[in-house]
Order: sequence, then structure tokens, then C-alpha cells
Amino acid sequence: MTAARVPTAKDYATETAAWWCPGCGDYGVLSALKSALAGLAIAPENIAFVAGIGCSGKIAGYLHSYAFHGAHGRALPVATGVKLANRALTVIAAGGDGDGYAIGAGHFVHTVRRNPDITYIVMDNQTYGLTKGQSSPTSAGGYVTSTSPAGNPDNPLNGLALALAAGATFLARGFAAQPKALVALMTAAIAHRGFSIVEVMSPCVTFNKHNTYAWFRENVYDIAERDGYAPTDRGAAFDALTRDGAIPLGIIYRENRPTFEDRCALPDLPIAQLDLRSCAREYAAIARDYR
Amino acid sequence: MEQTSLEVMFGGQGGDGSLTTGDAIAAIFKRCGLAVYTYKDFPSRIRGGHTNYVIRAGSEPDYGLADAVDALVAFDLEAVTAHIDELRPGGFVIFDTSSEALPARLRRPDVHWHEFPLARIAKDELGREIVRNTIALGAFAALAGIDPKIVRDEIRRTYERKGETIVELNLRAVDAGERVVAQAHAQPEQRLAPLPIEDGRLMMLGNDAIAFGALVAGCRFMAGYPITPATDILEWMARELPGVGGVVVQAEDELAAINMILGAAFAGARAMTATSGPGQALMTEAIGLAGVLEIPVVVIECARAGPSTGMPTKTEQSALNHLIYSGHGEIPRVVLAPGTVRESFELTVDAFNLAERYQLPVFVLTEQALCQSKSTVTLPDLDAVAVERGKLIAGGSVTFGDYQRFAPADDGVSPRVLPGVPGGMHLAAGAEHDPAGVVSENAANRKRLMEKRMRKLESMRDELPRPIVHGVADADIAIIGYGSNRGPIAEAVDRLCGSGVPVRFLQLRTLWPFPDGDIRSFVRGAQHVFVVENTFTGQLEALVRGVVGPLDILHGVRKYDGRPFRPIEIVDPIVRLTHAGELAAVQS
Repeated sequence: MTAARVPTAKDYATETAAWWCPGCGDYGVLSALKSALAGLAIAPENIAFVAGIGCSGKIAGYLHSYAFHGAHGRALPVATGVKLANRALTVIAAGGDGDGYAIGAGHFVHTVRRNPDITYIVMDNQTYGLTKGQSSPTSAGGYVTSTSPAGNPDNPLNGLALALAAGATFLARGFAAQPKALVALMTAAIAHRGFSIVEVMSPCVTFNKHNTYAWFRENVYDIAERDGYAPTDRGAAFDALTRDGAIPLGIIYRENRPTFEDRCALPDLPIAQLDLRSCAREYAAIARDYR
Repeated sequence: MEQTSLEVMFGGQGGDGSLTTGDAIAAIFKRCGLAVYTYKDFPSRIRGGHTNYVIRAGSEPDYGLADAVDALVAFDLEAVTAHIDELRPGGFVIFDTSSEALPARLRRPDVHWHEFPLARIAKDELGREIVRNTIALGAFAALAGIDPKIVRDEIRRTYERKGETIVELNLRAVDAGERVVAQAHAQPEQRLAPLPIEDGRLMMLGNDAIAFGALVAGCRFMAGYPITPATDILEWMARELPGVGGVVVQAEDELAAINMILGAAFAGARAMTATSGPGQALMTEAIGLAGVLEIPVVVIECARAGPSTGMPTKTEQSALNHLIYSGHGEIPRVVLAPGTVRESFELTVDAFNLAERYQLPVFVLTEQALCQSKSTVTLPDLDAVAVERGKLIAGGSVTFGDYQRFAPADDGVSPRVLPGVPGGMHLAAGAEHDPAGVVSENAANRKRLMEKRMRKLESMRDELPRPIVHGVADADIAIIGYGSNRGPIAEAVDRLCGSGVPVRFLQLRTLWPFPDGDIRSFVRGAQHVFVVENTFTGQLEALVRGVVGPLDILHGVRKYDGRPFRPIEIVDPIVRLTHAGELAAVQS
């Protein structure tokens, strides 16, 4: 990408073609993310993209950036480390409902509390795709799978409500089949100063025969169309997220709060660029304390 | 009589101030020009429970505990009950009689008893029971024949920050301690031979030295989760890192901590974590990830007695196999083991340089008996510490398409590019990948990349910290050991050699890659080889056997009760098995 021209989504494509099942919602997520980055004109070298494990985690290999495809459930701590070491980077993490809400649930809650300036995309297909269709933390109760032949005995986890309770500063939900809206949500999330979460309803066309594109179309609504809804009202956001029935899409909550980097009083110069040989005075002062 | 070594134990209840008093005594010994080693034996709780603090001072640096305790300052009966058998014949006890009387059955006739109502004097004469410890210190110093001026100077230094009133109170407490000794017409039990004071010596914990070493080595990012006995390092870094532009994160668990440092190191910061057994177990998966992603990280293991919760405040060397073998799949890794406080500093610096030059995880393995013990130490010249970052592309740009993150290399190390550098975009995948980073399960590629990574173990051989040979190089009797056992083994060696029984001791400082060549040449010609370690199963001995094969002359000297070796526990089995006692009378 040359600095002279306006970037397009193609500038964020890798030579490796994306490899999900035909019709998978994850294609929509990837495409929206590329468009959002192009719109924000963030150079690929300044993007650190950290993904978890599962079908969704494969997205790390499909975005032209400094990509990190680590251990299952650990995308957020890695992303936090990257951001703190170099706050000049745009840091984005992505993963599925299993990666973020099951094995990585502890990190999810604590990253929300810290509020680092990172964007987290949760690709929610309500099933475990890569291991062939077991129930996930967001699967409906009663969902019949190979590991829950009598129906899923667990209640689904409400990830966004959990995040709101933990002190989230930006919550949005999109639908993989609504590309324009999804680009707008991702753009706002990346621009948000703090930890921004975009949960994307991303249907699994192979294993989840319950939460299909058609099912979502019947069950979602745009929260912006609700009379008088203000995404700055925490109580209203909690109500919208926890009310039984239709699933709200759009920006559900946002607030401004100092980031983790601010609260750690990180210097403007990224830690990764510090001169490591310039602290002789500090070292000598420390040594004196042990005399 | 003048002594060259003195070991004093302060025993009481957790939280009663024994540790502060012990620290003051340690500082006083240091002012006397002596070498100091301290050992804390405390339960895993904050208040209550028997605790004791041992301070050993002598002319020889880097020793550990002595064979026996010379002086016991017992603040309660439990301290006497628990430790009276550890006193050497001719030693002395200061016992606080304020609330308990001493039963006759405990009154060993071969030690001297000094019984004073310390707490009552503190309350009645000084109005503050809390200064009981300082009164005990004054009494001990008088009985040990320590220069009263040095005692007062140190008390002033210790309490200076709390204001003149507190300083005065404690100085009066010292007076009171000396007075009770004088009133009892007790003569000094012994006189420590003071040494010329060496300027420039410091006194710090092994953990302080590790943290300081990391800082000077350029560590600017630490993530950790509090765990005994590693917490000191997290606290130290939390205090000092912001001052040099770095940051510390107290993570939600060890999984987060290790993954955070992977992220920070990937982005270009020198990063580390510090943990102990249970936390190390949680970090295992990410260590494999660091190996395959070729990310330089430093992981400090402050080993304690396991398994599971084990004994959190007690020492052991059973984490060795975990550090060397843990994880599914195979990665190159390094395990370094300091044996002194100075080495704790130096090997931590080495760990950062090796990690970055060879792009792999490096462990620094220490144990509770070293990392939570204070010693007098002379650190290396801080200005001369080298920061070697290896093949790093931290600025400029590279040509996209030409640059390959995992490019083949003779030494196994490919140039590492940092995020932000134009053209260097790539995928760092825990899945097997090709030189460009693209995920690949191709058989030939797998073989090539596996060999590339593992080749580092060979190419780094010459740069790893070498073992140190102590004692007589061609002696018939040989000892192999590492870590906190360096002190007691070195003392056992000095004593045996001094008694006419030549002994050689190989102190290992790199435990992985295992120094096969050094082991092989060290055991050559030995009639007996003793492997000294704090494990039940003989983890180090098994590694040595892996190099030297079945050998009748190999003997294990093992201790796994959570306490460090005393030199006599190493001397005794050697004398017994080699019949060295028939050759010379070994003085203890």
C-alpha cells in the first residue's frame, strides 16, 4: 500500500485465501473488518491482529497485518501485552464464542475491567464448528449435539451483559449478513478509545441448524430504531441486553473512561522503542538502597 | 574465644516482629564486615504460627546455613521446643520469661541459658511491648560481643524513617538489653572477629538480585500473578519499572501473565514473568507457543516444595524436570540456575540476552532457600552490563514478499521484525508454518522447521553459563549440585579439603541444554561421585546418569523435607561412603 492513495479492502487481503465452509458467517466478518480498516486508513504494518483457536481463529491468517495466532482462549492477554509494549499500534483481537466465553472467559472479564485500547471481535456461531458441532457457551438450552445428546443442559451465556456488568466501555452487536452495518460498527469500535467489543452473529451453516440466517433475520432488531434509546444509559443497555425475545443489534453502550495505558501512566514513547542503555542513574540509585 | 562463624535464630510467632529484628541483626553483621546469609522458616500464613529467622555470619562469602545454631533467641516456649535440638553444644539461649516458664525437661545442660522477662521490661520500663525484639537484640549483641557502636548506628538507620521518637525508643531498648545482661553478670559468650569493612558490598534477597538484574538487562514489561516465593519480584518490579518507562501488570492468573509477556515480547519489549510450581504448571502451554513462535521470554521459577500446593514457604528442587520437559511437542529452551545472590543477578542478565539472541524461552531456576534469603553481595559493574538483542529489525523497513520471519539459518535464528516496521507483516502461528509463516502441514517443511528451531540448542552451546569447579580439581571424590545447594556444598568441600580429604565440586549453572561434555570430563578419574539435590526421586542424578551411564560410584545425597542442607549433612554421607574418615579426622 502506498501512502499516496486511499486504501481499499483489498490492501488488507493476504495471499492465503480464506478457508471456511461456503456460506459461513465468518466471511462477512473478515470482509467488514477489511473495509473498516481501509476506511480508517490504518496501514497494515501498524495493525497487530491476535486471534484465538477454532474456525473463527483462522481469521488471523487472512488479514494482511502483524498477526498472532496463539493458544486457545488467550487472545486477549496477548493483545494486552502487545498494546502495552507498543501503544502506537492498532490492536485487534478476534475469536469465537468458545474461545472468548468458555476457555477464555476469565480473560474476557478482566480485560473488560482494565479497558485497554483494544478492539475485540467475538464471532458467535453458537456452536463448536472446528470440532464438528458440540454445544458452546452461547448455544440454546436443549440444543442437541454429539456431546449433549439429551439436549444442552446449560443456559446460554450473555457475553455482552457480562461485559456490561464488568464495566465495558463499548458494546456493539452485528450480524454477518448485514455488511454495511457491520462495517460501521467495527469502524466505531476501532475508533473508540478503550476496550471495544463487537459481538457478531456469525451463523455456522454446517453444524448449527437452529440459529440459521433465516432464524436471525426473524429474531434481530436495530436498537437505534427503538424510541429514545441512548447508548450512554447503562441501565437501558442492561435492559436491552437481558430482555427475553428479540436480539438487539447496533451500538448498545458506550462511555469514555481512562484506558489501562492511561492508568498505568505509560509514556508516549512505546515501551518497545525505549533506549535500554540510558538508565545508569536510576540503577545506581536503586543499588544505594541496598548498602 | 573468637569465632569465624556465628548463626543466630530468632524464633517466635508470625507477625511478632522477628523478621524486622533479624534484618537488623543481619545489617549489623554486615557492618562488622562479615559475610551474611539469612534463612526464613515461616508458615504460609500472615499472623501466628511458629516462625523463625536464621542469620548466619562469617568470614566466608556465599555459604548457606552452618551445621548448627550458635544462639537461639526464643520469644516463646514453642521456639525452644522446636529448635533446642538444633543448638550446638556450648551455644546459648535467650529466653523471654514474661509469660511462660521453662520446663526442666527442655533445659539442655550443654548450652547456656539467659532468661529475661523481655516483654515485661518493654512494657514496664519503656511503655511499649513492641520493643521487646530490640531489647532481645541488645542482649544478644552484648552476649555475642558485638561492638555497641555498630549496633546503635544500625538501629538508627533501621528506624530513621519512622522519626526521632522511634529511634530514641529503640536505642533505649538496646540499652535495656545490654543492662539485663550486665545485671546478670553474664560474660560475653563469644567474640566475633570483625573483618575490615568492604565498601561497595550490598545486602539483598536472591529475588531482589533477579529483579535488579532483569531491570539492568533492559526488561521493561512484567506480568505476573502473586505466588510464594516469587511475589517479591512482582512487587520489586511494580516499584521500579515505572521509573524507567516500563510497566507491570498484575494479571488475573498465570495463563494471562505468560500470554501477556508473549504479546509484549512479540511487540519488541524485553519481557518476563516470575512464578512458582503451581503457576509454572499453568504456563506450560504458552511456553510451547513461545518455542514455536520463536519469541524471547524470560520466566523466573522460584521453586518451592510440591506437588500441588505442597509447602509454599519451603525449599525444594523438584521443579527441575518440569522446566526441562514440560509441554506437548518439543521446543528448544534454556534453564539457568544461579547458586549465589550475585549469580542471581548475572544469570538473569544472561537469560535476557540468550532469550533474544536465540529467540526462545529461558528459565531462571532458583529455590526458596536462595531467592528469599538475604546475602551480602558485590554486584558486577552495572555500567558494563551488556544488552545483546540479536537479529532484530526494530526500525526501517523490509521488502514484503522477500522477508521471511522463519527463514532458514545456520544457527537456527532468523531475523525478527517488530510490528510497525513496513513490509514485515506476517502470521505468527502456533500451528506449524513455513518460513514465511503460512500454516503448513507439509512433511518436508515440518522436518526442516523442526530442525531449524532445535538447532539453536547446539549453536548456543559456547555461550551458555559454564559450570564452576570448586575444591581440588583432580580429587578422587566428586560432587555435582546446583542452585541454593551451592553454599552448603562449598562449605562441605572447604571443610573436607581443609581436613586433608580432597574433594572437587561441579556447580552447574546451565541445566538445559544439559552440559553433557562438562559432566563427562568432570567425572573422569573420580572414585566417587555424589549428586546433591533437594528431590526425592533424584532428578539431577537421573540427568547425570543419562550422560555417564550406569556407574557404581554414583551416589545420591537427597533432602526433601523442605529445609536446606546443612554442610554436615553433605560431609557425613561422603565420609561414610568413602571411608574418608579413616584417612583424616574431619572437623565439623
